[in-house]
Amino acid sequence: MEVAGRGQRLQMQEKLRILEDLNMLYIRQIAISLQDTEIQRKMERELRLREGACKLLAACSRREQALEAAKSLLVCNSRVLAYMAELQRRKEAQVLRRTARRPSDAGPTDERLPCRGTVCISDLRIPLMWKDTEYFRNKGELHRCAVFCLLQLGAEIHDTPMVLVDRTLTDICFESAVLFSEAGPDFELKVELYSAGLAGGSAQGSTPRKLATRLSTSLGRSSGKRVRAAMDGAPGSPPGNGGTSPLLLPAPSVPGPKFHLLAHAVLSLAEVQDGFRTHDLAIASNEESSFWLPLYGSMCCRLAAQPRCMAAPVTSGFLRLQQPGAEAQSGARLYCVLRGTDLLCYHDPGEAEAGLEPALTIAVNKETRIRAAEREGRGQPHGMAVTNRYGGEEVTHTLLAESRAEAQRWMEAFWQHFYDMSQWKQCCDELMRIEVPPPRRPPAMLPRQGSLYHEMAIDPSDDIEAVTDILTQRAGGRVPGTPPWLSLFEEPPLHATPSGRATSPSPPARRPWGRPRTLSLDAKLSTLKGRGARRAAPPQHPLPHGSSSSSSGSSSPAMEHDHPGPLQSQV
Amino acid sequence: SYFIFFSFQQRIEIHKLRQGDNLILGFSIGGGIDQDPAQNPFSEDKTDKGIYVTRVTEGGPAEVAGLQIGDKIMQVNGWDMTMVTHDQARKRLTKRNEEVVRLLVTRQSLQKAVQQSMMS
Repeated sequence: MEVAGRGQRLQMQEKLRILEDLNMLYIRQIAISLQDTEIQRKMERELRLREGACKLLAACSRREQALEAAKSLLVCNSRVLAYMAELQRRKEAQVLRRTARRPSDAGPTDERLPCRGTVCISDLRIPLMWKDTEYFRNKGELHRCAVFCLLQLGAEIHDTPMVLVDRTLTDICFESAVLFSEAGPDFELKVELYSAGLAGGSAQGSTPRKLATRLSTSLGRSSGKRVRAAMDGAPGSPPGNGGTSPLLLPAPSVPGPKFHLLAHAVLSLAEVQDGFRTHDLAIASNEESSFWLPLYGSMCCRLAAQPRCMAAPVTSGFLRLQQPGAEAQSGARLYCVLRGTDLLCYHDPGEAEAGLEPALTIAVNKETRIRAAEREGRGQPHGMAVTNRYGGEEVTHTLLAESRAEAQRWMEAFWQHFYDMSQWKQCCDELMRIEVPPPRRPPAMLPRQGSLYHEMAIDPSDDIEAVTDILTQRAGGRVPGTPPWLSLFEEPPLHATPSGRATSPSPPARRPWGRPRTLSLDAKLSTLKGRGARRAAPPQHPLPHGSSSSSSGSSSPAMEHDHPGPLQSQV
Repeated sequence: SYFIFFSFQQRIEIHKLRQGDNLILGFSIGGGIDQDPAQNPFSEDKTDKGIYVTRVTEGGPAEVAGLQIGDKIMQVNGWDMTMVTHDQARKRLTKRNEEVVRLLVTRQSLQKAVQQSMMS
């Protein structure tokens, strides 16, 4: 009975609210005991954002708003989970430290820790493989998805802007760089590609279930079990899946688009390189899903890392360079800075700050050997012998510190530096270039991505009805009325493509395959009509579609097509 | 004696030639992840969807720089070319603001080797 069902749902929601309050209480207790308010503040902020996103999702009518809200929801949920996991991890570490103080558990009390570094991932590109005989969903509609990536390192989660993908796109590109500033050499950078199908509303996705499973495993075991038991047998809960804990999740009745995990990859230090590399993607869905896209199975990106020991000075101070065989105090007094793969020696600190060339540069890398040089005798300061191999020769520089404490400080710095280099490996061969990305613009409307409609340069004086008719015919003869894609555009008259195109003399970034360039509307419309009619017969070879617009223009290409041989392009 | 078939990497720096409004390199490419790899006459592995040099204009900038027909283009100015569509590849090579392109190519070579006799 409807009334009974609704009553049960309300009861369930009440229980969920109580459990959520208990959950937050538990989290707050952990934060207090750790004396860590920062993560708690971040979490409460994400929860507030999540509330806002839920409300917006329920209230908004426009497709693009709903997509942005659904994306925000997913990002907020992921961040909350990450913060909770981080809090629990820190709590565990604290407890372990306390219990390990017993002598029987003694390990080295001051374990050497590697320095932190900045990890930068940029120029993400995920190629798609549209086949010429590929499926069309729902009576020939163009299959579209909205996608974005979540990038997670530790408790830090960044999201990329959202991109609309359809058959005319050959790659999903996220070019802007994302930085993580507190990574250790054992970092794991998780890249997750989320997708939401746009052909009509998708059914209740698996996202709440997946998040619920993750969430219930991050709670205490007993409360997780109780929650799961509470949800089993509730109306509307999907059968066969015990992990339906909906704590901290929106009420199941929120309508609108939902994002699902499409693919993911995990990158670590081994994948870091100052250049582009290809990585495998683990694909999490199949052709049946509404949010599926034909991924090629790989991902290209540039993953760079700058450990602190390379990017910033490790230590600095005065050392005396001893001439071989001379008196101890006779050498030049130099201001030395240890950074990256060198010990830079200046005449004075002013020179170092001014960024001038150092008077002497001594290499400090994996092949360098350093040993403490202790000299017997009264008042003899301690020093270090730094030995490198240049060409076939061994060259040793002896550096004397001004006091024993200074000498110890330098030796410790060198040991730490060598340890850091051994941990960060290839990142310490040379400093990798990392550009700080400009601050992200707030997400406005969905950016217009490559689609057939952008090729049409439509004069405002043209009859919009005629265009709409032809396009709906092409889409397979749907009922005349507003086609779904129109809702994605704000302004009533279809604009010409982005401004640069109308005025620049260079040819458009994308063209229909094999046809001469033309901006005439008539030519375009007859092309579309022709295409619509030829829908039944599949083309003979895969049509290479233009890729998404690149930032720099390309010179006019001469595309030749040797029938029946393979496609060649002259450059 | 017998033949050894091996491949090695070569770095090629091509300075584009200005022809009117265009900058040309003087070669043609084939291949791409959206193309049929079985039709590539230059690849060892017929599932290789990489970008190959199918023609080199005589006396053109590419020939002068040492590019050869059959070379597989791995990178262009640091950009990966092993997983691109045909059109993407073409675009990477024809950027208007680049006068020089540095290619990393893989070339296969056939060498005659004289077998060392173990007996003598």
